[in-house]
Amino acid sequence: MTMETAAAPRRARPFALPMALVRPVVSLGLLFGLWEIAARTGTISAFLFPPPTAILASLWVSAGPNGDPPFGTLLDIALSLYRLLAGVGLALVLGSLIGLAIGLTRWGRAIFKPIISAIMPIPTLAWTPILLLVFGIDNRTTITVVFIAASFEIIYNVVTGIEMMTRKTYWVAASMGASRIQTLRYVIVPGILPYLITGLKLGVGYAWRALIAAEMLAASSHGLGFMIYDAQEYMDMKSIYGGILTISVLGLLIERGVVGALEKRTIEKWGVNVER
Amino acid sequence: MSNVENILAHPVRETVVPAPRPKITAEGAGVRFGSVTAVEDFTTTIREREFVSIIGPSGCGKSTMLYAIAGFLKTTSGVLKVDGEPIVKPGPNRGIVFQEFVLFPWRTVLRNITLGPEIAGLPRAEAEERARKWIRLTGLGGFEDAYPATLSGGMKQRVAIARALTCEPDILLLDEPFGALDVQTKNYVMKDLQDLWIAASKTILMVTHSVQEATLMADRVLILGARPSRIVADVKIDLPHPRDPADPRLGQYRQEVTAILSAEVDRSMKIERSR
Ligand SMILES: Nc1ncnc2c1ncn2[C@@H]1O[C@H](COP(=O)(O)OP(=O)(O)OP(=O)(O)O)[C@@H](O)[C@H]1O
Ligand SMILES: [Mg+2]
Repeated sequence: MTMETAAAPRRARPFALPMALVRPVVSLGLLFGLWEIAARTGTISAFLFPPPTAILASLWVSAGPNGDPPFGTLLDIALSLYRLLAGVGLALVLGSLIGLAIGLTRWGRAIFKPIISAIMPIPTLAWTPILLLVFGIDNRTTITVVFIAASFEIIYNVVTGIEMMTRKTYWVAASMGASRIQTLRYVIVPGILPYLITGLKLGVGYAWRALIAAEMLAASSHGLGFMIYDAQEYMDMKSIYGGILTISVLGLLIERGVVGALEKRTIEKWGVNVER
Repeated sequence: MSNVENILAHPVRETVVPAPRPKITAEGAGVRFGSVTAVEDFTTTIREREFVSIIGPSGCGKSTMLYAIAGFLKTTSGVLKVDGEPIVKPGPNRGIVFQEFVLFPWRTVLRNITLGPEIAGLPRAEAEERARKWIRLTGLGGFEDAYPATLSGGMKQRVAIARALTCEPDILLLDEPFGALDVQTKNYVMKDLQDLWIAASKTILMVTHSVQEATLMADRVLILGARPSRIVADVKIDLPHPRDPADPRLGQYRQEVTAILSAEVDRSMKIERSR
């Protein structure tokens, strides 16, 4: 019985996979195609809406050795990714710890819950002026913005993961003679992992958007946000669109590629549902 | 079947065993949740290698009593002992199986079953060796690397039973272990549990709703009364194991237990209504 149910989705996959690829290619191709024609024929302003091929060409140049500075776009990408990684990494560690404290201890709930409730409604970007005064135009400013943006979803989901665990789960561990540390290691940590990954996925999404915006505010520090901001000064429309395109592609790669791979190794492999 | 007939033909082993020691002793044990008294007075002695079943109207405190013996809940009155020692907390000498299985979805079947020995500090190889024995006896062979989500209910319950047994408890506590299974699967798992009990020589305490399950498997059936509950009858099923469900003597025991239970259910419904 289990063999049959396991084989059914596998058989469907060869047809499902190309369709999943074909659909976005068709719809995006249509959009960019029309844009290209409209810009080339002068139906829309080629200055405000440069044709996509021209955007790609300009991106190709600015990312290469003839860019100004050479490999400038690559440097922007590297810096943005570095800030994202550092901020999200920090959020992952601290967010998980705070989430565990709230979910498992009375003092954690008493200390962190009110603070989080107070901070949560504030848009992350509202912190940028303060951070700029504290850190100056520095990677620490943008990393902190990423950290704040990513933290809440991680904390929230870790707490939810703990709340979803039934007392019977703990009882099973206890009847095996598990100590508190062993319960944490063998039951709580793996049990909240699917929730942590869901939190990470959402958190990274927020963080990526907040980072780009913060890079535009905390200018002259490179990064993709700065690239767009800087191009606006020179009315370099192609670079603006190039930046936006890069942000979209990278955001998609991080969410689908990195976090998606984590989901495959855990949530999908275990066949668990994450309820929120 | 031939195995069953074989054992039925030679029930000698049972009669030569001397009277076993008391394993679980309860004297007026009670559990209260705030103003709700779940169990009022639970008094009984369960001996080593006995298979005892607890049956009673819904909400009469069967699970509560089982959890108190497991050490998950504290008794609020009376005395509850295992091996002569008061129960203070859960421990590997008492294995638990829930109706809802409560498997760890992030662990494969094998890893679910080895968790107990792993927690006890056994090296992985040794833990696996122990697990293999119970995997074989519970009929889980070939499913070692499957994740629980891919298993049927019957298979999940086998994993839960194997997981409890791999901790090598003296006492196996079962809370409606067949409640979530369909009739066909239930009969299989029930038969396996009987064989396991004979092979493993454990003390088993099983909560159930089913008179048929209780009389088929247990040496004694404890009937709990309506809440606040106490034991209203202690019926000894004096038939050798393993039993044939078609045995007419079993039918008599079923009638006896059903009669007492119906009276209690009637009484509990009357109490409910008069509130
Ligand atoms: N944690 C709790 N807090 C308050 N009341 C509880 C708690 N657990 C159980 N009870 C109450 O205690 C009584 C006995 O519950 P218990 O689950 O032991 O009954 P049961 O005999 O196992 O019932 P069922 O056959 O439905 O499983 C019920 O009235 C229940 O509402
Ligand atoms: Mg119950």
